[in-house]
Amino acid sequence: MGQDRLSQSKLDYNLLFILFLMAIVSAIAIHSAEATLPEKLQHVNFAYKQLQWYAIGAVVIALTMIIDYDRFFQIAWYLYGFGMLLLLGLELNVPGTVTNKGATSWYKLPGGNFQPSELMKIFMIIVLSRIIVNHREKYPEPTMKDDFRLLGKIALTVLPPLILLAKQPDLGMSMVFVAITGSLVLVSGIRWRIIFGIVFSVLMILAILVFIFFQFPNFFHKYILEDYQLNRFYGWLAPYEYSNEQGFQLIRSLLAIGSGELYGKGFGNLQVYLPEAHTDFIFGVISEQFGFIGASIVISLFFLLVYRMVHIALESNDLYGSYLCAGVIGMITFQVFQNIGMTIGLLPITGLPLPFISYGGSSLATYMLAIGLVLNVHSRTKKFMFSSDE
Amino acid sequence: MKKKKIAQVPFRLNILFFVVFLLFSALILRLGVVQIVYGEDYRKEVERTEDEIVNTPVPRGKIYDRFHRVIVDNIPENAITYTRSKTTTPEDTLKVARKLAKYIDKPVDKVTERDMKDYWILTRKEKAEKKVSKKERKEFEKQGLSQKEIDKKIYELTLKRITPEDLREITKEELEIIAIKHEMDSGYALTPQIVKNNGVTNREYAVVSEHLEELPGVSATTDWKRHYVYENTFRSVLGNITEDDEGVPRERLDYFLARDYSRNDRVGKSYLEAQFEDVLHGKKAKIRNIVDKSGNVIATEKVYDGERGKDLVLTIDVELQQRVEKIIEEEIMATKRKGNSPLLDRAFVVMMNPKTGEVLSMAGKLLTKGEDGKTQFVDFAIGNITSAYAMGSAVKGATVLTGFQTGVLHPNTYIVDEPLYIKGTPRKKSWQTMGTINELTALQRSSNVYMFKTAIAIGGGKYRPHRSLKINPEAFTTIRKYFAQFGLGVKTGIDLPNELGGFQGKETGAGKLLDLSIGQYDMYTPLQMAQYVSTIANGGYRMKPQIIKEIRKPTDDAKELGPVIQRFEPVVLNRIDMKTEYIKRVQEGFRRVMQTPKGTAYAYFSGAPYKPAGKTGTAEAFYDGPIQSRRNDPTYNLTLVGYAPYDNPEVSFAVVVPWATQGNSDGINNRIGRRILDTYFELKAERAKGNVTNDATTTDAATNAEANE
Repeated sequence: MGQDRLSQSKLDYNLLFILFLMAIVSAIAIHSAEATLPEKLQHVNFAYKQLQWYAIGAVVIALTMIIDYDRFFQIAWYLYGFGMLLLLGLELNVPGTVTNKGATSWYKLPGGNFQPSELMKIFMIIVLSRIIVNHREKYPEPTMKDDFRLLGKIALTVLPPLILLAKQPDLGMSMVFVAITGSLVLVSGIRWRIIFGIVFSVLMILAILVFIFFQFPNFFHKYILEDYQLNRFYGWLAPYEYSNEQGFQLIRSLLAIGSGELYGKGFGNLQVYLPEAHTDFIFGVISEQFGFIGASIVISLFFLLVYRMVHIALESNDLYGSYLCAGVIGMITFQVFQNIGMTIGLLPITGLPLPFISYGGSSLATYMLAIGLVLNVHSRTKKFMFSSDE
Repeated sequence: MKKKKIAQVPFRLNILFFVVFLLFSALILRLGVVQIVYGEDYRKEVERTEDEIVNTPVPRGKIYDRFHRVIVDNIPENAITYTRSKTTTPEDTLKVARKLAKYIDKPVDKVTERDMKDYWILTRKEKAEKKVSKKERKEFEKQGLSQKEIDKKIYELTLKRITPEDLREITKEELEIIAIKHEMDSGYALTPQIVKNNGVTNREYAVVSEHLEELPGVSATTDWKRHYVYENTFRSVLGNITEDDEGVPRERLDYFLARDYSRNDRVGKSYLEAQFEDVLHGKKAKIRNIVDKSGNVIATEKVYDGERGKDLVLTIDVELQQRVEKIIEEEIMATKRKGNSPLLDRAFVVMMNPKTGEVLSMAGKLLTKGEDGKTQFVDFAIGNITSAYAMGSAVKGATVLTGFQTGVLHPNTYIVDEPLYIKGTPRKKSWQTMGTINELTALQRSSNVYMFKTAIAIGGGKYRPHRSLKINPEAFTTIRKYFAQFGLGVKTGIDLPNELGGFQGKETGAGKLLDLSIGQYDMYTPLQMAQYVSTIANGGYRMKPQIIKEIRKPTDDAKELGPVIQRFEPVVLNRIDMKTEYIKRVQEGFRRVMQTPKGTAYAYFSGAPYKPAGKTGTAEAFYDGPIQSRRNDPTYNLTLVGYAPYDNPEVSFAVVVPWATQGNSDGINNRIGRRILDTYFELKAERAKGNVTNDATTTDAATNAEANE
């Protein structure tokens, strides 16, 4: 009977089916966006290439699943070190780095540009989960002080890559790191008091910044945010008054999505030009063609994905497995929320793609890696139960 | 450890899931607001901005004469146009202008200093940047202005600080680029703007066509130039259109913009072209531009083909018009050669169908010094409605009829023609003393005294030699009221702008009333005279002079005319309230002028086969022409009104020769009158033989008029 359960539960078909649907949505959306791309990109069949990337992603998942995720636990710090080396290389501008739109975030590889921070996200989940697990084993009955000690460890691990990211600069990616950290801190079992304390302090700091901005604008401009960073906020909050790039993009995006209305304009009917239609603004392409209904289905797909992952995390009787899932949940949720939120004016515009849907090899590979981790946790869960029953 | 996990981790995971749920709900909520609540607004905005509909010009309507000969035509000419997209930057246009400058020659006379300065800033960015120091830039920033306002201020400051030395850097070649860029920048985005249409050589056209690929926005197309086939003939009435760099007249901008015009459209600015702008102006072709991501036009699709402007068919017979104009020129020169007409510089002829009001010919010629210093004739046909003169005895028909109507005269009333001595005014008499005469003779021989005594009677005065004469000033109003029924002193109603109603004298003395009765006080336009004589000719119907016969739908076929859209029917402005027998008396008087010995025009019209009737006029006038030093010199205006045949008139006319002589009688009015009538009937005979197809539908005005009553 145990053998049967093992073979049945080795793979989570629900999750894989959701992924399959995502691949279809992605291919359709990218294909429809191709017609509106600039001329130099016209001859590239992005939809086909994306499907190729999905195939490669499947291999990535398979590879991730071969090794027991406990192995990741063991080599966590090596992975972290490797990731840091890559980020440091960017910071030091070693040969082979690529700078685009003022941000040095890529290495040039034969297959295209590679963004090390994508990998680092996964490494971060792996290493933070290990820190928390270790801490929990060491202090089964943590005192307040222990909780603070754990926070300190987490902060010390997260800050170095975060600083390097902020210096690239890559605001979007930095926020993803914060989101991963946040979700892990939440599930790590740290006292509510501390969590509320952190949330409260963050809110306070924001309030103070806003206060300074309005009361002492000169000080704010000089020491806190540069004008170009501020423009992002202007473009977000008042796109029609500030016709900078962000404002322009937001207006286009709102036009595209809004004009889709309830039912959309139908497949292939794109009236509004969107910048980065096949990558960052793919959600606009979907919403314009398929309306509120289509867009809601896509959001629901993501929700189902997260739900499935939460389910796997809950099922897992291993703390490390649960934490890995929580980190991946935090990462994907934040990216989805940020990407869709920016296209409908809920959040300022950053260069984050929509997971699984936007065209892009290295980001898709990273998400597949993350899915691989979750599936890995899932596939080993039953085994543990089986062995513990014995 | 496991116990701990079961107690804590699942709870926290559920909290995490709850947060996820909240975030995704926020997305759906916001999406609903954007797509469902405001969706319609966004959709409307998209429809407004993304499919740009552009109008492209179509040729104007043509103008034909009554026998469908083209008077005003459109000639296609090569043109280079440029269409800017909404996102085209000044750098883009500059790039195109640079390339275009290599292929075409462009005169640089329209380049302004501002154009040069803009160009200087655009091409010498570093130098331009230095014109405004960092410190000054900081100052602007401190003022708390938006980036846009700051940029504007800096730009203005830079403009101000560009010195003439800076501008001297601009080479001749660059000047041509500026000239081209000037044209490119002047239009609206997505509206084709003519860069060059004057004298585009075939070579230029071909070279630009070959290189369209590297000239985004440029196209080699066809533009239309207005062509006046008969050159000077009738030219002043046809009017003009604005140049393309002039565009729509600024004072009527709103009017035109509200009617689907663009600012750079050429529109009629004077007379016929202006009066019938809404007819001649075509419906523009509508083109939908599909705009790509960077705002470039990637595809265009025709929404509406557009339609050339509608055609106007005039009532004018252009062949008659040409001959009449030639007659006027010849007779003016003939009279001037006699040496007693230093002030003579113009003459007018109007010929119309008295039954329908159709104007067959409206000619005016003005002798002026041209740019080369030579005297030459220019067209002044429009003077027939825009200038007024003392017409003299030609108005006596109206005076007699006024006498009848006021009851001071009756058919066959005899009055003594004798010199009048009125205290305070010079002696007043006819050109010869005629004794006791009735109104027929008075008209035939042009008695002034008969008219004077009629006027005195109307004014309730009593003539006593060498005494002062008192009359009721109301008489002026009475006479003018009756004159107006013939069209004298009121607008004729012709479909042309700027028509003059004539001039009224302000004084109301008895002497002036007498002058008024013989046409030497108020002034009338030549067209008013034609209307007046037509009214007498057709038995009392004041017809609106028609210059437009039909409006026709445009066709692509150059040979054929399109179907009639609107036909202008004869319009009776008023029926004079007089008995037909009164008018018959005046008609008889007019007949005697031309057909009986002693008639003042008998010498010229005796033997005319077409049985003319009419009235001559010689007005003692004061010069009011262009020679300043001779202003108010006494001179004679010679006039003639008439119609033929007297028993069934088909043509009526007025001849006006202001300031014709300085004393000697000349007869230029009668010579012109005889020759234009001869010409009219000659042409008619030729046409009867089939030389010109006359498809003019002559409607019987009298029946029409009666039906209108």
